[in-house]
This record gives sequence, structure tokens and C-alpha cells, in this order.
Amino acid sequence: MLDLLVIGAGLTGLFAAYTAARAGLRVRVIAHGAGATHWHAGTIDLLGNLPDGEKTVTNWTQAVPELPPAHPYRLLGIDAIAKAMDEFQSLTAVAGLPYVRAGAATDLTASSPQDERTSQRSDSDEQVSDPNLGRNLQLISPVGAPRPVYLAPAAQQAASLEDDRPLVIVGLQGMPDFYPELIAENLQKLGHRARSASLPLSRLTKRLDRSPLHLARLLDQPAEQALLAQMIVDVTAAGERVGLPAVLGLNAHTALVTQLHEATTARSRPSPQSSHSQQAGTSIFEIPTLPPSVPGLRLDAALRTQLTGLGVRVEIGMKACGFHATGRRIQWLETETGSRPLRHTARNFLLATGGILGGGIYADRCGRVRETVFDLPLTAPQSRTQWLRPLFLDRRGHPIFQAGVSVDQRFRPLDQAGAPVYDNLWAAGSTLAHTDPIRERSREGIAIATGYAVAKGVVTSQ
Amino acid sequence: MKRMQTEILVIGGGATGTGVAWDAALRGFRTLLVEKRDLTHGTTGRYHGLLHSGARYVLKDAASAAQCISENRILRRTHTHCIEDTSGFFVVTPEDEDDYPDRFAAACRRLDVPCTEIPASSALRREPLLNPRISRVFELPDAAADSFLATHATAQAARQAGATLLPYHELTRLHLSGGDGNRTISGATVLDTVSGEELHIDADLVINAAGAWSGQVAALAGVEVKMILGKGVMLATNARLTNTVINRCKMPGDGDILVPIHTVSVIGTTDEKVAGPEDLPIEQWEIDLMLTEGDELVPGLSRSRILRAWAGVRPLYQETQPPAESNQSKEGSHSNDQPVQEMPQDSRDATRALALLNHRQRDGVRGFITITGGKWTTFRLMAESAVDAACEQLGVSRPCRTAATAVPGVDQGHYWLGHRLSEVEDEQLQSELVCECELVTRSMLESAAQRNPTVTLDDLRRDVRLGMGPCQGGFCTYRAVGILHQLRTAKTSPVVGEWNVAHMQSPAHHHRDSSTAEASDSASNSASAYDSLQRSAAVDPQAAVSQPNLLLRDFLQERWKGVAPILWGQQLRQERLDELIYLSILNADHLPVDDKESPLSSFYRSDFSPSGSNQ
Repeated sequence: MLDLLVIGAGLTGLFAAYTAARAGLRVRVIAHGAGATHWHAGTIDLLGNLPDGEKTVTNWTQAVPELPPAHPYRLLGIDAIAKAMDEFQSLTAVAGLPYVRAGAATDLTASSPQDERTSQRSDSDEQVSDPNLGRNLQLISPVGAPRPVYLAPAAQQAASLEDDRPLVIVGLQGMPDFYPELIAENLQKLGHRARSASLPLSRLTKRLDRSPLHLARLLDQPAEQALLAQMIVDVTAAGERVGLPAVLGLNAHTALVTQLHEATTARSRPSPQSSHSQQAGTSIFEIPTLPPSVPGLRLDAALRTQLTGLGVRVEIGMKACGFHATGRRIQWLETETGSRPLRHTARNFLLATGGILGGGIYADRCGRVRETVFDLPLTAPQSRTQWLRPLFLDRRGHPIFQAGVSVDQRFRPLDQAGAPVYDNLWAAGSTLAHTDPIRERSREGIAIATGYAVAKGVVTSQ
Repeated sequence: MKRMQTEILVIGGGATGTGVAWDAALRGFRTLLVEKRDLTHGTTGRYHGLLHSGARYVLKDAASAAQCISENRILRRTHTHCIEDTSGFFVVTPEDEDDYPDRFAAACRRLDVPCTEIPASSALRREPLLNPRISRVFELPDAAADSFLATHATAQAARQAGATLLPYHELTRLHLSGGDGNRTISGATVLDTVSGEELHIDADLVINAAGAWSGQVAALAGVEVKMILGKGVMLATNARLTNTVINRCKMPGDGDILVPIHTVSVIGTTDEKVAGPEDLPIEQWEIDLMLTEGDELVPGLSRSRILRAWAGVRPLYQETQPPAESNQSKEGSHSNDQPVQEMPQDSRDATRALALLNHRQRDGVRGFITITGGKWTTFRLMAESAVDAACEQLGVSRPCRTAATAVPGVDQGHYWLGHRLSEVEDEQLQSELVCECELVTRSMLESAAQRNPTVTLDDLRRDVRLGMGPCQGGFCTYRAVGILHQLRTAKTSPVVGEWNVAHMQSPAHHHRDSSTAEASDSASNSASAYDSLQRSAAVDPQAAVSQPNLLLRDFLQERWKGVAPILWGQQLRQERLDELIYLSILNADHLPVDDKESPLSSFYRSDFSPSGSNQ
């Protein structure tokens, strides 16, 4: 019998499954489709805006106490969040796709899949006194606005706007999803030294599909990598940080970033600035693009590889169609197949199906808002008239997107009376109520922190 | 203040106004048209896209029906490529009156509207999603019309005939002289809403073709034109449900027309009297009514994915009383041709026939004509009668030529659903796609932006259908802003030559066009003198692009106002993806503010009413 059946293969589900499996539980992940990780920027956004929308968060440890009491972060507390982030960083280091915090220097060239040293947080006792603990990075968005990010893939770290090295944003002419001139102009308006340059994509490929994913696969090839490196050197100068669209390889990503870094810093070695730029990290960074997100795909692949290593199966294409409960315990869940429903029995169930975007919550024309697997009671606006605000970019967000499952301190869904609906059902990630993760820029932070908390809770309850 | 001089000044850049400019220019008048926003920004760009056969009005409004069928035949020749020849069904559902269909068929015969009854079974074979309970079906020459393309094509024809068209020029004052009962209009002052400069126009005659705004324009001449403004709400589904126009065979009512237009079906409409032409809230009950009634035509329509809701306002007019001032006018005898009627209680009951108000006879104001009422289908006839009246006032006799003159592009034949896709596939333009939903290529966008005034991305939407598909701007808003910004920063010389509207819908044409642009640079120099004259008078296309962040925010809000009333189910999920893109990934709400407002920012806001009493 499974100890934990995770429903949903987004960041929440995969990280929870990893945590539980590492603690020795028997775990399986089932999901209707691949998670929303493929859509996002591949960064870990922990908290960028408070719900009133007015303040931009620079340090989440100071901002979390200002969140409403029912917010998932308030249920967790700062230490639990920090611990989950720490574990996530360790995972990414082990997986060879290191994620880094503000103020931490990475030497990308030293990273190797087995090398735990690349995790900056080897000594977790230090974290309480660490002044950098809650600091957000300010990275660069594809329109040149600052993106508040807590953990960045190492390849995005050099985009930090706190760094004062001049920026050159390099685009690929003919790629429809990246506009270096626009990014550079907005960065200039924000007071940064930035310029733009373009490389003819036609020198790299004659193919017509120029989606980020296709370009990333193309750049897994050594010949194209060498050509790109040469083209970048030609249009950039010594001492400049080079921003590229996030298409720098899918499988050969680290090697490519290293190669580009070396190519651009090699020529600056005679200049006195070179030692400085070595210290400040790489000279190459990626800027996320429109979906599909290559950094998101890398993260998804890294997590799945780790899960496979732990013997956890991730089954995609399984749509939940029914379940059975005895008293306050769920016995099994059924998924659709071509012939008859497939039954999944487990001791514990984690609902990690996401919110309206992920498909975990569905809102219909009559104003009914439903949780799609267990039909759990939801916290949601009462009628459709209360769902939306007149302005799309209203900083407070649209109330319907806060709809979700209310949970207790242990992340078990609650009924209207405030009691857990089932003793062995847990919920985490964007399914949770009292937060609008996209407005808050807290999507991945909530996914990791709540997924981790549930996994630990299940382990304790065994 | 800049000055311009013209013979005929046309107010309004919708179907009627551009039609008037085309007609007047063809008759050899020096013609100038001013429009306060973009061409087709008003009702023309907000209707369901039906080329009427007239059958809808045969029992209710015979005058309008007769005008529709005769214009239907003409527009198929003059604007062929703006029309998809879908044909139309009038279907009798179990809810409909028993004797209406026979009276309907008889009236069609009487008015010479070609009407064939076909077996319901064969109609269902052609349109499998139709309500299987329909008992009778009549086939008529209804069709789908692209009113954006048609208006641009008419405008291009007008320019070729010598007319000058000035979008984003708002009428602020009409120049009146003379005393009561014997006043004369000698021109107008207009405001360039982009540059903020005023323009003084001397004109022999002013034709008010401002549609729903006609009353406001007439008021500037001290004349009362009481418009009946009938708001109609329409919904677009995310796919075509039928390939034929479907009408309920009953007295015209709410939600009884389903028009296949490009990649979507449009269900319409309601008819609610509203106070002003920009007072267009979309109420929840209107959407519910549309969907419930739509289910009678295509069962399950209410469960299909709705992309967007919008409202247009019909410029209806009915003369209600003998105008007080016309008593003082000696020539007042013609003006009371129309029977004096009670003001209709319901705008549904107001006539759809065109209304020509010759203010010399009606109000004693020389040099001023209002043309209003009518349907999109009858815009050419409206233009003809307005310019006829102008000829009479100016004391010349020049016959109308529009019925026998084709606009540029008719050689392409009727457009069809697969048109763009086939061209994108044939020319392998996948890498150029800016908007995957509507198959807009980069060169189409660049061409439209460089040769047509672009103040907002919404102007480009009307030109090339940018952002009109299922994601409602989710992917293409960012790309379009990036491309426009590149155009401005690029060192390349601006493209010369007039924007070829005839191929507005054709990706292949634009692609070939842009790849040979450099080669033909010298060849087009001969035409550039004329063209630069045209463009110097129009809006500077570079001006708007200097504020990319404003373009982005404006278009996101413009798309939002049309999706907010129909956000539920899968479309709500789609909108959440758009939020993910513009908030999480782009952080567009924290972009540097490059300018506070465009001329349309507040319009996008005021046009929106949340589905209820939200603040």
C-alpha cells in the first residue's frame, strides 16, 4: 500500500513527493497533465507584493507577518518556510541545477551533479542570524521590469539589478518572444546602464519553428553552442553582463552557460576589471520568456529525475473521476482509463492540483466554484458579481483568484464548521485559499513551503 | 492654427462616413473626413458582421428590407472580398409562431427578397449543430461581412479618388454665421487628439455621418436631432458553430441571429435604449439572455466557450414632430415627407431605414446635412442620398458612381475561413507569427503600423485582427509592443507607399511585400509625393510607439473590458494564464510609467461595467 498518493505534478506535488520519499515513505504522483511549472519563469518567487498591492517586498521575512492570518505563510511561519527553501536548494544542487539566493556567490563552473558544496546553505544553524536570509533578488523581466525573486537558477543570478555592472541585452533576430531594445530601454528608464544587441538567428538555424523550446534543443548541440559563443563575443564588450533569452540549452544547459561565460570573460582577462567580474559571478544570464518556459522545463526535469532515483513514479494522463471514503478516511481514488476506472489506494492523499490555472478549481457561469477532485468546501466569493475588478492591472487582484481550500495548521482541508473534512487528506500549493499567488508573486514559494510542510506532516503522522 | 480648405467635410469615420467620402470624391468634390478616434471605432466595428438580405425586416420594416436587399446585391460586386458568402437560414423553432413563416415567405416574394424553403433535414445535414427540432427552414442571401476591412477598403478607394481622411481628429466647433432661420455653416474646428493641435477647416458643406454621435454633432450647429440609441450586446464563441448565418424565423427579437465571422460565431443581439453613445454597460442578464436564446438555435451554445462580449449602439432615427424652426423656412415643404409618428417606446420598434436630414429645409441651416439611421448593409445607399442632397444644396448635378465602382481588392473574390491558414502554410510563415490565434504575421503588423495611424494596439487589432482569438491578447500583446518598439528604434527608412488595404487579410501578400521592400524602394518614389501629403495630414505613426509601456497597459485593459463580463470556466482559466504572463513573468504592473494616458485610456475604463455592482 502507498503511504502517500500525490494528485498533481506541479512544483507542489513533485517537491512534496520528493520530501516524503526521502523520508522513506512509499509515494506515487498522478496527474491529469504536466504541471504549470512549464509556464512559469523557472524562478522561485516567494513574496514580491503584499495583498494590498502597494508595497514591493524586498525582504520576505519582514513582510510575512503583514499577511492576513489565514495566509498559508502565516500558518507555516518564517522558520518553516526558510527550512523548506533550504531543502529545495539542496535538491537543486544535487540535481545539478543549482538555485541561489541574493548575496550568495556561485561559481557556476565548479558545480557538478554530485557536489553538495554548491548549495550555499550547508550550515542551516547560521540562517537565523543571516541578514540576507529573506532578501529578494530583483531580476529582469522580458519587458525590462524588475522581477522580485527569492531563489534564482544560477543562470539567472547575474541579472540582479543590485549588481552595478553594465548590461547588454542580446536578442535573437527572428525569435518572436524576445525584444532586447524594449528591455534595455525600460532598464535605462529605471536608472540602469543597459544597451541592446541582436544576433541573426538565421546563422544558427534554418528551421521555422522558433519557439523557446525549439531554440533550447538546438543549443544543446555543440556546433551551435560554439557558434553562439562566438557571435556573443562579437557584439559584447569586456566588463558587460550579457542577458540572453532563456533558451540556453535544455540538457546541456550548465555546460553551455559555462562555455559562454568563459568565452566572454576570456577576452577581458588583461583588463583590471576581470577579477572583479569573476567575484560578482557569471557574466552571462538568462531572461525568462513567454511560455513554454525553458527554465521551468529544466526544473521539472530535474525534479522528476530525482524522483525516479527514489523509485517514485510520476504518472501523467490520469484524470481523477471518483473516490471512496469511509467515515473521515479516504480509501481510494479512481482515475479515468479507456475501459474502467483505475483505483489508487493509499494511506494518505495530497491534493496538489493547483488553482484555476492548474485546473484544481473550476468556476462556472452560475457562479459556482468547485474543487475538481474531492468537491471540497471552498472559500470563494459568493457570486459572480464579486469575482472581478474593473481594471485588469488592479494591484489588489481579482477576488475570484483567491478562491481555494481553507486548511488547518497541518494543511488538512476544513469544512464549514472548521473541522478537517478527512483525516488523511492534505492540500498544498495554489489550491489553497487566502492567497493570490500570481498577484503576490508567491506561486513557487507557496508550492515549495506548503508541499514540504505536508510531506513532513504525513511522515510524522505515520 | 493650421488651416485646410475643402468642398465637403464629412464628420465620422465609420461605414457611412467613409462611404460618403468615397461617393463625394468620386463625384469630383474636394473631400475631407474627420473621425475622432480610429476608423470603425464606433458602431461599425462593434456589430455582428451580418450582410442583411433584408428578410429580417420584411414584415416589420418593409422600407428597410427593400433597401437591404438592393444594397446586398450591390455590395457583393463593389466589396466582394469583404464578404464571406455564407448564405443564411431562417429557421422555425418549436417556440416560434405558427403563421409567421407563411406571412414571412409571402412578404419576401412581395419585396423581391429571394427566399427558398428547403427541407429541415437538408439544412441539418449542412449545419449539424442546428436545433434538430426545427420544423421549417428558408434559405436567403444573407452573408458575413468584415466591417473593418470593408471600411478600410472604402477609405482607400476614397483616398485614391482624392479624399483626405483624418482619424484622431475630433470635431470641437462648427462655424456658424447668419441669424435665426437663415444660418450658414462655413466650416469647422477640429482637434488633433494625439498632438493636441487645432485645425481650422473651411468647407462649403458639412455632412454629419457620425452615427450614434449624430445628435451631438448636430447640437454644435444648434440643431436638434433626437437619436434613438439602441444598444446591442453580442457574444463571440471560440469557434464557428455554423458556417451559415442562422436567423430565427420570427419577429426580430433578442438573441436570434448567429453569424459565422472569420474564426468565431457571433450571437446577437439585445436592443436596449441607452442615454449616450458611449454609455454601453454589459449587463449580466443580457449575456444570460443571449445564451438562453442561442440554445434555441444551436443547443448547447450556452455551454460553449465564450471569448468576448461587446456592445454597439444603433443610430436609429425617427422624425417625431415638425421641427419648430422649419416653419420659418420657406423651402420647408420637403422636410415633412416622413409621416409624423409617436416616439417609439422601444428602440426595437424604431425603423432601420436610413434617415436623411436636410437641415436647410428642416432647420434653416445652410451647408449642413445629417445622414443617419440605416444598417451597415445600407451604408452605400446612405452615402449616395447624402451626397445627392449635397449636390442639390451646392447647385450642381453629378450622378453617383459608387454602385458601379469596385473598391480595391475585389479581384480576390469572397474571403473564406481557411484563407489565412492556407497562405501561412503555403508561404511557410510559421516563424513570423505574432498572433497564433488569428494568424497575424510580423510583416502584416509592421505594414499596418507603418502605413496606418497607430495610436493604440487596438487600432492594429481592427487592421489585422490582432488579439481577437481565444487568448485575447495573451501572447501577441507583448510581441506587438516589442515589434512596434523595434520599428521605432530601427535605423531603416520608413516604408513608403499607401497601405494596401486590399490585402489586409493576406499574410502571404505582406510577406512578399516586405521581402521585396528594398528592391521597390526606388520604384515607389513616384507615388511618394502624393503619399507623404496623405500621411503628413494623418497621425504620426511614431508618436504612439514612443510609449511602449502605455501601449501595453492600454491594450491589456481594452481586452479586459470585453472578457470580464464572460469570464467563467475555461476562459477564466485562460485569463489566469494571461495574468501569469503579464504579472508573474513580465511584471507589467511595475513597469516605468512612460506616459499617464493615451487619448483612449479613459475610454477603455469607462466602457467597462463589471458584471454587477462591483465598485
